[in-house]
This record gives sequence, C-alpha cells and structure tokens, in this order.
Amino acid sequence: MIAYLVRRCLGVAGVLLAICAVTFVIFYLLPSDPASAACGKTCSPQRLAEVRHYMGLDQPVWRQFGDYLVGIFAGRDLGSGPHALHCGFPCLGYSYDNALPVWDLLMDRLPVSASLAVGAACMWLVLGLGAGVTAALKKGGLLDRTLMVGAVATASLPVYFTAVMLLYGVVRVGGLLPYPTYTPLTGDPLGWAANLLLPWTALALLYAAMYARQSRSSMIEAMAQPFIRTARAKGMPRHVVVVKHGLRSALMPVLTIFGMDLGALLAGAVITESIFGIPGVGRLFYDALQRSDQPVVLGVTLLAAFFIVLANVAIDLLYAVVDPRVRN
Amino acid sequence: MTTIPTQSGATSPSPRTSAQAGGPSPLPENLWRATWRRLWRDRGSRLALAAAALLVLTALAAPLLSRLGGWPPTEFDSHAIDPYLGGMPRGPLGGISAEHWLGVEPATGRDLFARVVHGAQVSLLIAFAATAIVVVVGTATGLAAGYFGGRVDTVLSRVMDLTMSFPSLIFMIAMMSVAQDVNRVLLMTVVIGVFGWPGIARVVRGEALSLRHREYVEAARVGGSGPWRILTREVLPNISGPIIAYTTLLVPGMISTEAALSFLGVGVRPPTSSWGQMIAEAVSYYDTDPMFFLIPSAFLFVAVLAFTVLGDALRDILDPHGGRP
Amino acid sequence: MTRHTRAMSASLGASLALALLGACTGNADDDGAGRHQRPGVSTGTVIGGTPVKGGTLTVLSDQDFAHLDPARNWVMPTMDFGSRLLYRTLTTFKSSPGKVGSEIVPDLATDLGRPSDGGRTWTFTLKPGLKYEDGTPIKAQDVKYNVERSFAPDLAGGPDYAQRYLAGAKDYTGPLQGRHLDSVKTPDDRTIVFQLRRPVAEFSYTVTLPTFSPVPASREKGVQYDLRPFSSGPYRIDTYERGKKLVLVRNTHWDPATDQVRKAYPDRIVVQQGLKRGQIDDRIIASSGPDASAVEWSDMDPASIAKVLPRPEVRKRLAAEQTGCTDMLALNTSRAPFDNLELRQAMQYAVDKSAQVTANGGPALNDIATGYLPPSLTGVRRADFIYGRSTTGDVEKAKKLLAEGGKPDGFPATITVSTGDKTRAEALQQSLSRVGVRLQIQTVDPSVYYDTIGDTKHAPDMAISGWCPDYPSGSTFLPFVFDGRTIREKGNQGNVSQFRDKAVEKRMDEIAAMSDATRANQAWIDLDPSIQRKSPAVPLLWERKPLLAGDNIAGAFGHPVWTGQFDFAVIGLKDPAKSQG
Repeated sequence: MIAYLVRRCLGVAGVLLAICAVTFVIFYLLPSDPASAACGKTCSPQRLAEVRHYMGLDQPVWRQFGDYLVGIFAGRDLGSGPHALHCGFPCLGYSYDNALPVWDLLMDRLPVSASLAVGAACMWLVLGLGAGVTAALKKGGLLDRTLMVGAVATASLPVYFTAVMLLYGVVRVGGLLPYPTYTPLTGDPLGWAANLLLPWTALALLYAAMYARQSRSSMIEAMAQPFIRTARAKGMPRHVVVVKHGLRSALMPVLTIFGMDLGALLAGAVITESIFGIPGVGRLFYDALQRSDQPVVLGVTLLAAFFIVLANVAIDLLYAVVDPRVRN
Repeated sequence: MTTIPTQSGATSPSPRTSAQAGGPSPLPENLWRATWRRLWRDRGSRLALAAAALLVLTALAAPLLSRLGGWPPTEFDSHAIDPYLGGMPRGPLGGISAEHWLGVEPATGRDLFARVVHGAQVSLLIAFAATAIVVVVGTATGLAAGYFGGRVDTVLSRVMDLTMSFPSLIFMIAMMSVAQDVNRVLLMTVVIGVFGWPGIARVVRGEALSLRHREYVEAARVGGSGPWRILTREVLPNISGPIIAYTTLLVPGMISTEAALSFLGVGVRPPTSSWGQMIAEAVSYYDTDPMFFLIPSAFLFVAVLAFTVLGDALRDILDPHGGRP
Repeated sequence: MTRHTRAMSASLGASLALALLGACTGNADDDGAGRHQRPGVSTGTVIGGTPVKGGTLTVLSDQDFAHLDPARNWVMPTMDFGSRLLYRTLTTFKSSPGKVGSEIVPDLATDLGRPSDGGRTWTFTLKPGLKYEDGTPIKAQDVKYNVERSFAPDLAGGPDYAQRYLAGAKDYTGPLQGRHLDSVKTPDDRTIVFQLRRPVAEFSYTVTLPTFSPVPASREKGVQYDLRPFSSGPYRIDTYERGKKLVLVRNTHWDPATDQVRKAYPDRIVVQQGLKRGQIDDRIIASSGPDASAVEWSDMDPASIAKVLPRPEVRKRLAAEQTGCTDMLALNTSRAPFDNLELRQAMQYAVDKSAQVTANGGPALNDIATGYLPPSLTGVRRADFIYGRSTTGDVEKAKKLLAEGGKPDGFPATITVSTGDKTRAEALQQSLSRVGVRLQIQTVDPSVYYDTIGDTKHAPDMAISGWCPDYPSGSTFLPFVFDGRTIREKGNQGNVSQFRDKAVEKRMDEIAAMSDATRANQAWIDLDPSIQRKSPAVPLLWERKPLLAGDNIAGAFGHPVWTGQFDFAVIGLKDPAKSQG
C-alpha cells in the first residue's frame, strides 16, 4: 500500500510539472507585455527596461521557468533592498497586478469557490441521487419517465441561462432574495447561505440532472446483479436490499464522477462566478487572464489541476481499499 | 467547467462479451436497418431526429434562409431601433415583424433570424468538427493502447491520464485568448478537440483489450495479417456500435462547450455570430428585451436536447450495457 | 487611464470647464436630428440636494482599483476616489459641477504655490496643524518622499510628471535604496521647494496629482503600500480585501477646518467589488434597502438605458457628465493604404457617425464629434464642417475619393478595438462596407489595448483611440496626438495614427512658444481644421459618463476633471438612518 501511495504521489508531481510547463509556454506566447502594462501610459524605454528587470522579464523563458519551479519550494524575493518582498513555500510568485503573493490570493479566494462548490454539490447529490434512485426503482413507470425527461431537459440548459432565469424570477420579480453579494460564512452564516442560494441552485440543477441520469442507470445495473437477486430470494426486506446492496454498488461510479466534478469546481466555476458576481477563484482567473497577469493565471491552473489530480487519487484510493487487486 | 460533459474515464468499462461473439462482421446491413427501425419506432427519438436534422439543414441552408428573410446577418437596420432608448428594438417582442421574423438585435438593428441561423452554422460546424477530432484521435489511441498493450499501452494511458488532469475549460479559455492572429473557428475546434479525446480512448481501449485474444483475431494474426489490417478489418468493425453511440453523445457536450467559450467572449471574431456569443450579448437585455435572450437560448437548448436524446437512444440500441460516456 | 477605461489615453490635471454646455450640445448635432428629442440627461446639476452627515455610503463596483498607492494611482476615477477620501494633495480641484469644478484651490498648501526664477522654481507652504490618521503631523519631507517614490520602478504606473518636470531627475530610481532627490528641497517641516528643468506655468495644476500627497517614510511598504495607504484625508482604510471589499471609516485626526473642499458626510464608505455590471444597475434602479444608499463605480450598462430614461423618477438619479475627451478613428498613416491622403479623406465621408452614437448608447450619452479638440477646449466656437454636415456620411464623395486614391473598389483593412467597443467596430465595419472597405475586427481586452495598438510594427490599419486634455489648453491635446516626434516604436500612445507632418510640427512649435495664452489657444483651435484636412484620424464622438445613484443619495454629481466620475468629496446621504449601518 505504501509503495502504491509513493508511486501515486510521484505520478501527481509529474502531472503537475507537465501542466505547469505547458501553461508557462502558452503564456510566454502572449502578445502583450506585462512590463509595459505595469509601467503606465507614458513609459520611457529606460524606465520600461528597469520595470522589466524588476519583474524578472528580462530573463530567457527557460530561466524564468526554472526560477518559478525553484521558487515554489525555496521561496522567492521580489525587488531588492530593505523593502523587498519575500514569499516562502509554497511560493507561486507575485501577481503582476497588485504585488500580492499568488498563493495568498488563491487562499483568499478559495473559501469563496469552495462555498459555492460544496454547497452546490450537497444540493445536486441529494437532488440527483434522489431522482435517479427513485426513477430506477420505478423503472418504466410514469414517475421514471417524468423524472428522466425533466433531467434530460435540465441538463440541456446552459448554466448561464438557468442563472439569468433564476435571477429574474427570484430576485427581480419575486423579490425573495437579495442580489448575490458574497458574504463570508464566518460572522453571518445566514447571509452567506442567502447570498449563495441562487448560485448553488443554478449550478446544482445542471449537475443534478446529469447525476440523476447517471445514478439511474447504475442503480438499474446494480439491481440486476446476481447478489441482489440472492439477497431478495433470502427474503431480506426490500429497503435493506436497496440501500445496503443496490445503492452501495451503484454509488461507486457516481462517486467517481463526483470526485472529478467537485475537484474541477473547487478551483472556480468561471461562468457561474462571473454571472453572479462572486469573487471566487474562477473570477480571479478570468480577470487575471484579461490583464495578462501570468503568475495568477498559472497559479489558478495549477490549483485546478491539483484538485483534479487529488480527486483522482482519492477515487483510486477508495477503489484500492475496496478492491486490493488495483494496487498492483 | 459546468458545461463540459462528465466524461468519466476513471472507471474503464467492464470487459464484456460482445453481442456477436465470434462473428467477424458485427454490424451488417440488416443491423443498420434494425437500428434505424428501432430509433424510428420511439416517439422521443423520432422527434429528436427530426429536430437535429432540421437544425443541420438550417445550418447548411443558412445563406439561403437569410436571403429569404431579406436581411444578411451583418447588415444594420437603424430604422428598427430607437436610438433614444439606448437602441432598443422598435415594436413589441423585440421588434418581431414581417420585416424581421425574429426581431432585431438592440443597438445595431441586425436581423435576429439571419444571425441565429448563421449562428447555427458556426455552432454546429465547430461541434461536429471537434467531435470528429475527438473520435478519430480517441479511437486511434484507444485501439493502439488496447491492441498492442505493454509499453504502448502504458505510455498512451499516461498521456490520457495527463490530458484528463488538465483543467479543460480553464485551459480552453486561456488558449483561446492567447492566440489572436489565427482562424478562430479552426482554433476553437482544435482546442475543444484536444481535451475531449481521452474519454472515448478509454472506452475503445477497454473494448480492444477484450477483443485482442478473440479467436477470429488470433486466427487473422496466425493467417499472417498485419496489425493495421487486423485493427481495421477485425477489431474496429466490432466496436463500431459503442463508438457510434458515444460519438452521438459527444455532440451535445461539444455544442455546450462551444457556447460556453463564446459566452465568455473568447469565441469567434465579430461580426460572425454563434449562439453562445449571442446569448452573452443578450444577457444584459434579459428583462428589457427578453426575446433577444430567449431566441438564441431556445436554439441552443433544442440542439443540445435533440442530440442528447438521440445519443441516448442510439446507446440503448447499439451498446445496451456498455461503457457509458 | 489606460486601464479599465474603454477608449481613453492619458488624461490628468485640469480639463477645462465644460464651458457653456448648452451651446455645445446644440453644436454637436447640427443636422437637427437630435435637438428636439434629447432625453435631457442632466449635466452640471447635483443629484439629491445637500446631504446630511452620517450613515454608510455604498459603492457598487464590477472591478478592483488599479492602484490606491498615491505614487501609482493614475486612473481618473481612482484618482478622484483616492485624493478625495484618503490623501490630500498640495492643491486640489473645487468640488462643484460644471465649469467651477476645474478651478483649483489650496489643499495641504496655504496657497497655489509661489513661482520664482521665471517659473522654474515653485515653493509651497503647508498649513499648520495637519495630521495623519494616527495623529502625527504631516511634514513637507513626506510630500518629497512620495514624489521620490514615483521614480521607483517597483512602484510603476503612476503619473510621470515629476520625472518630466523635476531637475536632475535623470537616472534617479526612487528612495527605496536610500537615495534622495536634490531638486526637491524641504528647508523646514512646512516648506517644500521644487526645482524644475524648464519653466512650467501650470505647476499649480500639476500638484493636484496624487504624486504630490504625503507618505511618511516610516510607513513605506514597497509594492504593498498599495494595500493600505496611510491616510491624510477624511477617511482611513478599515479593511481592504482586494477584488472583494474595501471599508473606509472616519479619520478622526482629519480637521475639517483645514480643508475647504472635502465635506466627508458619510460615517463609513463601503466599496463592494467584483459585482456584475447589469446587476449593479438593477440594484440601484430598484433602490431597496441599503441599495438606496449606493452609487455605481463603473459606467451604466448601455442595456440599462431603456430601464432608466423612460422613468423620470430614475432618470433624475442618472449623472451623465461629459468626459471631456474626444474619441477618434485613428488611421495608420505609416503604411498602405492610409499613407494615401485621398483614401484617408474618403474615410471621413465613409464613416457613419450616427451609427457610432447608436452603438455607444445613443444621443443621450454621446455627441457627434466634429473636430479633434473637445468642446471643453474650443468653447462655443463651432467647428468647421470640412467633410460636410451629414452625420451618416456621404457615400458618393467617399467613392469618388477612393477612385482618386487608386482604389475604386475599396480594399481590406484591419481594425483593433477593446472588447467594450465591439459593437462600435461592427458599426464601422458595416458603414465602411458601403464603399467596399472590408474591415477585419480584432478585439482585445481594455487592459492591454494600448499595448497592442502601441506596437508600431504590428499596429492595425485602424484603431478607436481617445485623448483627454491634461490642461485647459490645446497644448495638452494636439501635440500629444499629432506630433510625429512623439512616436515610439513600442508603447506608442497618443499619436496612434503615426502621423508625421513637418508643417504641422513646425506650427505646433510656434504656438508652444507663444507667450499670450489667449492667442495661443486661438491658434490651437485654428490648427485643428488644418490637421483635419490631412485626415490622420476621423473624429467620432464626445462621450458622457453615465452613472446611477440610489434614491437616498444626495450631493452627487459627475466631476468634470475626473472624466465625469462622482465627486467623492461631497457625496452623502439624504437620510443616514436608512443606510443600515
């Protein structure tokens, strides 16, 4: 098991390194010059050179990449003299835009995106699994068909459409909720939930629809397994069969997707955050991209990749625990 | 990231016995006809098929249709809008009239019918082309990995893992905004395609893995056929069912992804229209000019829905217990 | 100005009063099309009467400030925000709508500065009893220190007037490494003397810039000073989460007796950042709960116009001050096709300017530009209609000129615009297609827009470019936009057309040497049409800045200096109790 873990961790590091390199190259090709953007509107060539040197952009790209990698572990300094900044492990550099360490920016925005993702995930798991399992148990019936038609239709609506409709119906016409303004969980839990309710719903509807479809088919598949028939034949009560045997084996494939989805969402739901004006990681990424704030873009990309890889590992571990054959 | 279809590859589909175990040509003429008949028998699939066909026809005939409507998609109509109201369309329902069948775009007065029809062209072209890339690349890699196994499999599987670890939407946005002086439609197709292939590759790999030691494959190998011949003549035809089902199910995801990228403003170059780009423009008009928002949304919705239903139906027919996308 | 603003370049200091606006508006649409239906968005008036002290003012924004650090703050609305609330400058602008707003008064200083040595040396004396937020006294040395900071490459992005004007400033790279500037002297704690490399008559205006506000050396935090500027103004920063929220509370050590401009009505000011633009408009229009005590930071979404103008109750809460800038279609004169005079002139006839107005929010928020100099610089004088009076263009004349220029069938051309100007670019594309010019549009983000078009080697054939006057004089406008000697290979700004014309440059030098300001100004006004004849750019629009205020807001007006942003010195609430803490 330990050897397996070590192997996985090495794999994760390799994947992150590769992603980091690809991102770096892509942004090196950007047409705009961060130094002249930072320098301001009437920037003399001499001053531009100074600014470029200060930002470390006068180095060749491989050198910049090397510095970046070393910096992650060893930390980096920005500027020199008594007012130079130092960021320690894990140092992802400084934002060109506001000189804040990228790591701090990410950690500042992560709770926002996590609030959005986790809240929405709870909603869609309940909705999606509920609908899927119900449909599977009533397979072929009217309820099944209604639920599945509803799921297919909802899954076909883009999140920005649902979001706008929710805003219109609930906020503008209904006046039931305020316009979403992110409030931190600490201090005002009620305000936090009230402000996130719409974004959660918009996101959860889409995913719930997909999960309903997914869990219905795995549930049907699971219920057709021989051991379920055996359990039934032994005279176990129906709800025990359904929950203990059917649901448990139907849940595995759903969990797999769930890990990936949640991992991807943790690093920011770009569209949802931009529609509702939520200052999360996705919004940070989008703004940074528009300002060619390369360190931040790189940071978000790495964070997102990290979460996805992490989710993968978590799922694999889960499988490894359940099924020892996987380890080899 | 919300509109990318969940192409979970983490669980490779369980190896299963092919419906036509041992038969070297599994999708004969009559099976095609049977598939078609079963598809046509179901009312939902029939509707979906009709809607999809209609949309494809619309896209193909876009120039013709907009000529019929009387307005090219880029022509401004200053008489259809009221400059003193920030360029709102004159008349009710976003300016729907005999002149402009679906009304006009605020601030420019461009004909919505012409734009949405031309938008269909762009959206569907990108979706289909990206799907094609995904299917070709995915099938090729999956076949190679599954059939050859060993080191080839290890390397290709690593590449698949790596590609799937990329935060795809974030990367697509980044790549689209970095590249400026290129053909946007082509770039978008490639960018969307690049991240989609591992899903299908895993399905195909699993299938190929289960087929490589079948008697008829072994027989062909013993008979002296090269790997190319075996792959194309023996293996590929045997797994074409799942591939076709998977392909159809890919299309709605591709349409959504294209729309999402256009919605975020990194799509096609103006004045070309696409559904996502039109919706993005219309979001701020959702209450003052709802038709402007609803019309492209409806087209997008119908397209995604139709291809999903169609894909579902095809999967049920061609790949009843197989790898789910 | 480059950042966050759609189409503006350098713009600082005093923009001349929006003299006689009524007359200007009459001028602007001389074909009579808009005269009777102008929706009458008020200009020069104050929204909501006089405020009452207390309460919380909310500012709803879709973005973060570029820089609050006074050495780096060079974005007009942010300069307004910073220098009205957080730091005081040696002199500042009066708090008044319309013409009076661009007059200056002493702020930290006791007077507008005393020139000597023919305007090469300027001496300012600080008022007694000035204090920072911690109660320590404000010293002349601190003003000097911040001026020095503006030289540091770490602290880039701010106004560079100190670098341009101060003597002995070459090779100086700021105080962070312990070096100081000799041309700024502080003989005692209340006196500061600037030695300039050439006479600068309007230096009293220059010291309105945030560069000339105090920063004590002991508070230096390098680039991170941006997060928490040390206050000398009526408010201090309580919390600042970048991109999310900024909370200002009263600076109890600020003494209103020393300040003749700032009124500091609200007790707290909360800036809510990163919101969605259209939703901000909706919230302020609805004005329910705390939103009634809110103003918006960025321009109203054009899509919201239809929700505002037809409703008198909402319309009276819309400020739409002229930005004082001119929007132009710059033609790249450095290469074909626009190195050809006839083809350039053809563009003057080919462009449909009224389509530009419509694409940019309609006549309520735009006037058609008939010359390069904005009305604020030309006063009531009507511009010459060199290219006819039709606002939709003259296709026949354009085609004739194209034929004379050897391109009777038109030609392909590229245009780069910032993303916010996409519809305008499409309108241009459409109107130029009437004469066979096929435009290929490239959109780039506003933050990198001037970078992109400023790379002269890869510059597009056309670009939408704007300029705002720095001082009440044509000398801050035409030489920046049309002097060929200012062109730089990279980061070229201002002269986007890359227009080089010996006769024009010679005339500019002659006018700059004139000692009689009135005569010089007239000469600039006369130069405008003669440059227009050479057609390096097509004047498009004179824009206004649309901003909504909640219905509990009082004392709000667009300040003419800061491109029509609300003046934060005097804004407040009608009923503080309604703002809910």
